[in-house]
Amino acid sequence: MPFAGIDIGSTMTKVVITDEQEKILASHIGPTGAEHRHLALKVMDETIKKAGLSFDALDFIVATGYGRINVPFADKQITEITCHARGIRFLFPTARTIIDIGGQDSKGIKLDADGKVSNFVMNDKCAAGTGRFLEVISETLGIALTDMGALALSADGFVQISNMCTVFAEHEVTSRLAEGAGVAEIVAGLHEAIASRVVNMTRHLGIEKDVVVTGGGAKNQGLVKAIEGKVGFAVFTPPEPFITGALGAALVGKDFYDRGIRPAKERKKEEVTFFS
Amino acid sequence: MEQAQQAKTTAVKGTDTAREVRALVKNIYRSAHEAKANGQKVAYMMVASQYDEILRAMDVVPLPTENYAGLCAAKRDMDRFLLKAEADGYSQVLCSYARIGLGFDSLRKDLGHIPEGSPDGGMPVPDMMLGSSAVCDPRFKWYQAASRYLEVPTYGIDVVAPPPQDDLNAVRDYYIQYQRDQLKGLIGFLEAQTGKKMDPDRLWEAIRLGDKAWQLWYDIDRLRVAIPCPMPSQDHFSIMVAGHYYSGTQIAVDFYQKLYDEVKYKVDHKIGVIPDEKHRILYGGGLPPWHTLWIFNYFESFGAVFVIENVYRGYDPVEVPSHVKDPVDFLAWRAFLRFTRYHEKARARSGNPIVEKLLDMIADYKIDGVVFHACRSCRATTIGQTHMKSELGKYSDLPMMQLVSDMVDLRDYSEAQWKAQIGAFIEALEARGK
Repeated sequence: MPFAGIDIGSTMTKVVITDEQEKILASHIGPTGAEHRHLALKVMDETIKKAGLSFDALDFIVATGYGRINVPFADKQITEITCHARGIRFLFPTARTIIDIGGQDSKGIKLDADGKVSNFVMNDKCAAGTGRFLEVISETLGIALTDMGALALSADGFVQISNMCTVFAEHEVTSRLAEGAGVAEIVAGLHEAIASRVVNMTRHLGIEKDVVVTGGGAKNQGLVKAIEGKVGFAVFTPPEPFITGALGAALVGKDFYDRGIRPAKERKKEEVTFFS
Repeated sequence: MEQAQQAKTTAVKGTDTAREVRALVKNIYRSAHEAKANGQKVAYMMVASQYDEILRAMDVVPLPTENYAGLCAAKRDMDRFLLKAEADGYSQVLCSYARIGLGFDSLRKDLGHIPEGSPDGGMPVPDMMLGSSAVCDPRFKWYQAASRYLEVPTYGIDVVAPPPQDDLNAVRDYYIQYQRDQLKGLIGFLEAQTGKKMDPDRLWEAIRLGDKAWQLWYDIDRLRVAIPCPMPSQDHFSIMVAGHYYSGTQIAVDFYQKLYDEVKYKVDHKIGVIPDEKHRILYGGGLPPWHTLWIFNYFESFGAVFVIENVYRGYDPVEVPSHVKDPVDFLAWRAFLRFTRYHEKARARSGNPIVEKLLDMIADYKIDGVVFHACRSCRATTIGQTHMKSELGKYSDLPMMQLVSDMVDLRDYSEAQWKAQIGAFIEALEARGK
């Protein structure tokens, strides 16, 4: 019995298919963005193909992420907070705090002893503390986004970036460069600033071990290290941080199925229209 | 669909009586215009200043500027006033109620008349402005700043409460004496402005009516412990108009009596706000989002009803000692007792009176989750909210959520983000219910 989770985030669409034993059969990641919205269905098809299944074989499909609302082929929509919690708890049964750093938002999630979401907090209408913040600055610096973390780790100390507004931070970075500051130290400073922002936000919930960092930000080792510096202990990261929301969605789908809930309507195998 | 939701700001009410509040609001501004035309004195005033009955006893017509800001937001006609205040140099982090008020006064002065199409006919130029330190600091300074646009006298009174760790027996006399002096100073000012002495008998009568209305309001809120809840928070944010802007009048008493009867009927007949109440929510604090009150109905679409709230509440009834024979002394005593209502409890446990009040509400109203509203420009109700949330978490394991925007400034609001948060909050409530 296969279950699919599709997580349509602001920059990436992720799909995971699991079986009834909660084993991952296949996963796939593709771009989102306004020009790529039609690709959500394609990412779904690719994953189904990888799993060697047919679309109709899926027993339950749960959509999550910002684009979850208008997924015509989903049986249920569940927020990414619940899905991340389910996915992370599956991977890390002792997790009590989750820090999710996505493309356009970041979240802190607190789990109770049973793994249920007890509290959460999200960044507020601002790119600071999100992947987008680093993306904008990486463009300014002419450095690939994927190289930013390693560059931060190679720095000898860091330059304080005080401005958390993305636009003003960009100005500040340019000014620091003009003053002769090292690129690696500036990048390290940016990572410090993001870590400070997301950790402070998560502190509103009371940070409790174990802490798991997920989302695209968890792929950035410089950022993970900066977060560890702020919380004062080692944190965990999933083997593939991009897909924890989709994994959670697939598992939530299985939970529904196990409780006797079945797809309520006929699925429409159509493109996702969440931006229109 | 999204456009349609944006255009709608108000919430569908749970009670018929709450629907009558719109007329009461209109009457506030109409009465002020009529009073001006008849030569009666009109005063800018603020809620919770403890002087409501004094104004009624002295025939001073109250013109509540904060309410006007909320009205502008509900009508989505706030930007022109906010932008005018900001153009005049007031920061976007200054209380948006104050910015709307100052922007309105500034525009009215520039134009030489009330700005065209102002909600409910706009506010006339008052004869005086009565500021107060109750609740927050901008309220004390707002009317002083408004003097830039208005050549009318301003009087600000200090409204004080001791910190919770104080021994009330040790500080009581001092605080009451100080409050009495403040109120007497105000009365002296009003006597000079109106040219007549305050009549103690009339003040007693206004106090009697004020206390009666507030007792009824309290009784209504106690009825709301019923399951299903008979009256939601969106109604509270309407019906508070009678208690805060008609205090000391028969109008408020009659209104709350009618509302009490309706709510009691609903309780007796188990008529809830929605047919299937799944989750009972406490509005933990922060001024309401006047620009988007329909959000309460959005929660209801998931079976979540806001059954009680911790803002713009009536004070719990207090018993002023019988030896107090002077009405001004009574007001000073009453203020002290109102403000220290949860101090003893706080000293015994959390140290925070608001946390104690919220914990009482959680227990009494069988609350399933708590929602706070952090308002960017309201320091008084927002600073400390995170701490309060965390303190509350020590004594309760309920899901809590903090929505962020502003009470009137729409620029601080994001519908998409709120809906995402609300979705997750509802899922957390549902997960607990399994």
